[in-house]
Amino acid sequence: MVNDDADVVARVLAGDGEAFGILIRRYEPGLLRFATRMLGNPDAAADAVAESLVRAYRHLAQCRDASRLRSWLYRITGNRCRSHLARRHTTDIPLSEAPAPALAEASDTWEVLERSEQVALVERALAALPAEKREAFVLKHVEGMSYEEMAAVTGARIPTLKMRVHRAREALLEALEEVVR
Amino acid sequence: MNPIDPRLQAALDGERDPAELPADLREAYALLISAAELLEATPPPRVSVANRVMTEIRQIPVHVPPHGSVRRVIRWFGRPRAVTLRLRPVWTLALAASLAAMLLLPWQQGSVRNPGDTEGIANFVGHFPGARSVEVVGSFNNWTRGLLHLSDDDHDGIWHGAAVLPAGAHEYMFVVDGERWVPDPLAGRYVDDGFGAGQENSLLFVRPAAQP
Repeated sequence: MVNDDADVVARVLAGDGEAFGILIRRYEPGLLRFATRMLGNPDAAADAVAESLVRAYRHLAQCRDASRLRSWLYRITGNRCRSHLARRHTTDIPLSEAPAPALAEASDTWEVLERSEQVALVERALAALPAEKREAFVLKHVEGMSYEEMAAVTGARIPTLKMRVHRAREALLEALEEVVR
Repeated sequence: MNPIDPRLQAALDGERDPAELPADLREAYALLISAAELLEATPPPRVSVANRVMTEIRQIPVHVPPHGSVRRVIRWFGRPRAVTLRLRPVWTLALAASLAAMLLLPWQQGSVRNPGDTEGIANFVGHFPGARSVEVVGSFNNWTRGLLHLSDDDHDGIWHGAAVLPAGAHEYMFVVDGERWVPDPLAGRYVDDGFGAGQENSLLFVRPAAQP
């Protein structure tokens, strides 16, 4: 897979623009998932990912190590998400302020909650986190990245990222345990 | 917010076997892992991003670097080769005189062509002891490698080269040994590379050669 990325990048840089479609198909699902979790809105996420991919295409020659293309694409997308969050229109309703879903009785356990309720709960808890901690948790636990790769994506140092992930886990666990206990 | 037990953090970081955790921590571990698994299931977007992106990039002009065979020819001429000349002594003397005359002429700007009115000469110098190759990529060559190599003929670790560039501001980086991208420590000015990781490109300003 890693070598494949380098091959495809070389093809695109040699003038085969259509080969960029291979990279889009390869990374679109993960980038959309990441952006959706960062922005809390699938449409805004699609915009951010599309803008990021076009930017990546324009600057592909600047990708300093094609074997680390994934990190580079996530970095561009993460940057685009942060810009979007910074200028988010006031009429947008952040997920953390959206109406809470109808919850089961407090005596219910996590297992008996319907899946849609579980998803809504987790999304609300995640959306309530500051953007940096949300990003760190998503990259670590949803995208399955190592701390080294997260450092390449975010530009933050590994101890800083570990701290963000730890704090995010604490906040999420507290929010989730309030419901399931 | 209550701090999580370090054993649970270690298990979630993959540094500890979760099966070894006490029952209450195992429960918390399972809760966080299942939350992450739920987040993995993202509803697909209503509009295909792929089609949208491909439509947009088809309108972007394609930059094609020199063809492979052209590059091979350039490399052939650039590679050092042994050349043997058998000359009569009289021709040897004439050749030596010509070389001496050339060396005594004022030094010109190497192989760099004369700049036009809206162009200037950019000189690049970098100290990279032990490097096998150093090249310059930047906004002026679409960040394409293989187009502007620096040289270190006396092997003192100081690499230099020059190029005629359009007047104005240009971002650039050195690429050392074909893989290490480093900003020019002597650039004086730097700009964010725009990819959000705090990395910076070097910035140079080329003055028009026609300008006094």
